[in-house]
Amino acid sequence: MSGIAFTDVTRAFERKGGAFQALEPVTLHVPDGEFVAIVGPSGCGKTTLLRLAAGLDHPTTGSVMVGGRAVTGPGPDRAVVFQQFALLPWKTVRQNIGFGLKCRGMSDAEARPLVERYLATMRLEGHGDSYPHQLSGGMQQRVAIARSFILEPEVLLMDEPFGALDAQTRIEMQEELIRLTAGQRRTVLFITHSVEEATYLADRVVVMAGRPGSVREIVDVASLRKAERWAERPVEEVMELDSFIRIRTRLWRLLRSAGAHRDDAATHTLPIAS
Amino acid sequence: MAAASPLHRSLLGAPVIGGAAVVGFLIAWWVSAKSFDPMRIPQPGDVWDAAVQLATTGYAGGTLAQHTLQSIMLAFMGFAVAAGTALPIGLAMGMSRSAEAVFGPIVAFIRPIPPLAWIPLAIIWFGLGDGAKIFVIWFTAFVPTLINTFTGVRTVDPTIIAAARVHGAGPRRMLLDVILPGAAPLIFSGLRVSLQASWMALVAAELIGAFFGLGRVLMTAAQDIFPGMIVVAMAAVAVCGATMTWLLGVVERRCLPWLKVTP
Ligand SMILES: Nc1ncnc2c1ncn2[C@@H]1O[C@H](COP(=O)(O)OP(=O)(O)OP(=O)(O)O)[C@@H](O)[C@H]1O
Ligand SMILES: [Mg+2]
Repeated sequence: MSGIAFTDVTRAFERKGGAFQALEPVTLHVPDGEFVAIVGPSGCGKTTLLRLAAGLDHPTTGSVMVGGRAVTGPGPDRAVVFQQFALLPWKTVRQNIGFGLKCRGMSDAEARPLVERYLATMRLEGHGDSYPHQLSGGMQQRVAIARSFILEPEVLLMDEPFGALDAQTRIEMQEELIRLTAGQRRTVLFITHSVEEATYLADRVVVMAGRPGSVREIVDVASLRKAERWAERPVEEVMELDSFIRIRTRLWRLLRSAGAHRDDAATHTLPIAS
Repeated sequence: MAAASPLHRSLLGAPVIGGAAVVGFLIAWWVSAKSFDPMRIPQPGDVWDAAVQLATTGYAGGTLAQHTLQSIMLAFMGFAVAAGTALPIGLAMGMSRSAEAVFGPIVAFIRPIPPLAWIPLAIIWFGLGDGAKIFVIWFTAFVPTLINTFTGVRTVDPTIIAAARVHGAGPRRMLLDVILPGAAPLIFSGLRVSLQASWMALVAAELIGAFFGLGRVLMTAAQDIFPGMIVVAMAAVAVCGATMTWLLGVVERRCLPWLKVTP
């Protein structure tokens, strides 16, 4: 049991000259084991929603439940990949990846084989003893992903986790994520600016609109993915399917009409489309 | 200038310029000492004689080694007491609003009092012995470390704190693996200011009243009108202060290895 349920959630921030409504009532249910992607214009409240699920923030009104329990703070059932990586600058790559294990009381010797495995999975071999600032943005992002995946949480909360990766690494990480989530059914909340990425990865894609943030539409992809066995095919092949292109185009139209920042959404998706 | 060749740069390197400046200074000193009253400006030879006297037979109740050791030991003890109290209080103030509410006003009150203003009270309470010096140093060196520790804790990137929380860091891991290293660069710059303040406060306190120490040497030499000895003691004060600051820098580089490797 690890579904996520946002019910009538609002979040208002204190600002000079009154409250700023970042989320108007949002209701969104992510059933146990589902992969939900969120797309939406910049500033529409995607990160705010994810922080609520992580327990790093609390709703102004409404309720946030994970696994049937109200969220009161962070918990070992959830791990977060942050938009800004948020690595510990004073820890090496190995120590960063193993940080959550250490917090759970695992000794270095116990953690070592796991850490080495994730170093390899994320293709970070040879960088284990580097400090984060010695790595490229894409490498730092992979460290942040490894730090969360290694905990094998029931719920993965990912905020544009592949944003800083080059096109090729990005595709490899997407395939890796599919493998990881297919192995054990995991509930995933995945924020992205890329419509292709959302279509390829998610069971459902939530399109948000901004000012104040709200759910504009939810597009189902799961039935098609299953019927056409996307998970077993390489990304580039899936992306050429008519069904894939139809969903992608529909999401694009929704995003464009979602508002103020359409340029933003368009430029972020183009590199993968070509 | 900008297009200096490697040869030029090595010839005009910092050690050469520095060495030339020292030689120039010694010549200027010698010339001016020759042309002024020797009772006011000691000649290099007088200073050398004073140094030899202080190092061997001693002056003002002890040899150079005894005075220096006494001063360094007291400065270090005062600094240790100041840092040892300022660090935990600064951490507590940074991490808890109620600790900030308790200690904030006390610090705001102590902060503007000049170090020398503590000396009369210190002498009344502790006499001319070591206790008075440690007390004065404590109140002088306390504030810089405290303020920097507090600011360091408050400026740790909140996203990093959030990341540590969601990956399971409890209070202990948070303190040791996140807050302390995050605040460390500022803490060390506070410690550096505190260390310099300790040394200054100590010499000042010794000037006013002490049985031993470099400040005592300075004061005795002033009463004896012995300019050569004054210069020797001042040089010893400078060398000790610079050495302690340098040692702290070594410790800092040891403690903050992630800053050493430049990107
Ligand atoms: N702590 C805060 N205080 C005040 N306003 C905030 C705070 N956090 C977020 N906001 C506001 O809430 C809105 C939503 O922010 P959020 O970070 O959730 O957007 P986002 O959808 O993740 O954007 P992006 O795609 O650029 O990451 C923004 O207008 C932002 O200015
Ligand atoms: Mg965001």
